[in-house]
Amino acid sequence: MGDVEIMEIVELVFWLSLAAVGYVYVGYPLLLLGWSRLAARPVRKASYEPRVSLVIAAYNERFNLAAKVDDCLALDYPAEKLEIVLSLDGSTDGTSLVAEECQRRHPEVTVVPTSHHLGKAAALNRGMQAASGEVVVFCDVRQHVDAAAIRELVANFSDPAVGAVTGELMLLDDSHRLAGDGVGLYWRYEKRLRAMESAVHSTVGATGALYAVRRSLLAPLPERAILDDMIVPLRAVLAGHRTVFEPRAQAYDRVCPPELEFPRKLRTLVGNFQLLRVMPQLLDPRRNPVFLQFVSHKVGRLLVPYCLVSLLAANLFLHRPFYVAFLIGQCGWYSLAAAGALVSHRRRQLGRAGARPLEEGGVSR
Amino acid sequence: MKRLLSLPYTFVLMNWAAMKALYCYLRGSTVDHLWHDRPAHGHGVHRA
Repeated sequence: MGDVEIMEIVELVFWLSLAAVGYVYVGYPLLLLGWSRLAARPVRKASYEPRVSLVIAAYNERFNLAAKVDDCLALDYPAEKLEIVLSLDGSTDGTSLVAEECQRRHPEVTVVPTSHHLGKAAALNRGMQAASGEVVVFCDVRQHVDAAAIRELVANFSDPAVGAVTGELMLLDDSHRLAGDGVGLYWRYEKRLRAMESAVHSTVGATGALYAVRRSLLAPLPERAILDDMIVPLRAVLAGHRTVFEPRAQAYDRVCPPELEFPRKLRTLVGNFQLLRVMPQLLDPRRNPVFLQFVSHKVGRLLVPYCLVSLLAANLFLHRPFYVAFLIGQCGWYSLAAAGALVSHRRRQLGRAGARPLEEGGVSR
Repeated sequence: MKRLLSLPYTFVLMNWAAMKALYCYLRGSTVDHLWHDRPAHGHGVHRA
């Protein structure tokens, strides 16, 4: 093979890598934008008040559980139609005592105890079995849920095509405003994608902080499942229903610096690999009505880093002016990333030392 | 300036997470391993 042929292959690798990255982050959102404008499928929302079971899995949440139950009891939904199921997961910090006290004080609360720590999926399975509502809402202990959230979520179930509904997680910064940089910006981009996916058919997952599903569509989660918030809504989609995004049903959490968000993102991405193993039908376009969305959004994100590596590697061997300019651009991008890492690391160090830089308002973590 | 730096940093970190995720998955990491250095517990943020 001659030098010319090798350079043609390198050039091909460059353009294929660029096309893949460009499609995942720009092409697919533009495709969705056009699709959602031309062929949107609005949800027939109406006032609807079925019996709702709120299922909350709790592991070592002694200090947060009572506040979470109070949060749930303050929801704008008829108390006689709301059941709170606290599914415990073998906590070692006395969470079960707090849960039992909540049950004693509030008849709406049902505690599902266990002495063994078997993981969130097992806890949710036990919670689902105890739930009696027509609609089951899943939420985490950590996030605050808006009072109107349940009413807004269940209104979507008046449309018989809807099988699951995801709420919107709002990431707030230290001054309780919507986070507008780094992880916050990334999350807002994700939510825009979800909204457009919902408009054309279904989102390919839900927000673990707040999502709802018809109980008739629930089945036990696989043992050690990582992403219940993907498996449950995607099962609804594979069963012929829609999973829609409800931006008026909001939960709130504090935005983390990127390096603290990393373990959460890692867990989600490992969960995506696990998802491909436990639900291989997702890769079958004949069985998955959101095949294009799933591959473009979820599988694409797993492949992009390798495309970025091949893009940079191929670019190093290409010397025409366009490629040199592109390489400078790539180097600039990664230099900014390295500077961002240094700044973030420095801010965390200052935060740990208790310093509060005046211009930034301090670091609360 | 902060946004200028945090966007590429977040992008690179998220892609690094995707590469590490494949390694963790192939190595058979459990949910507990993945949560080992989970972000701090807490009740999150109440609306201001």
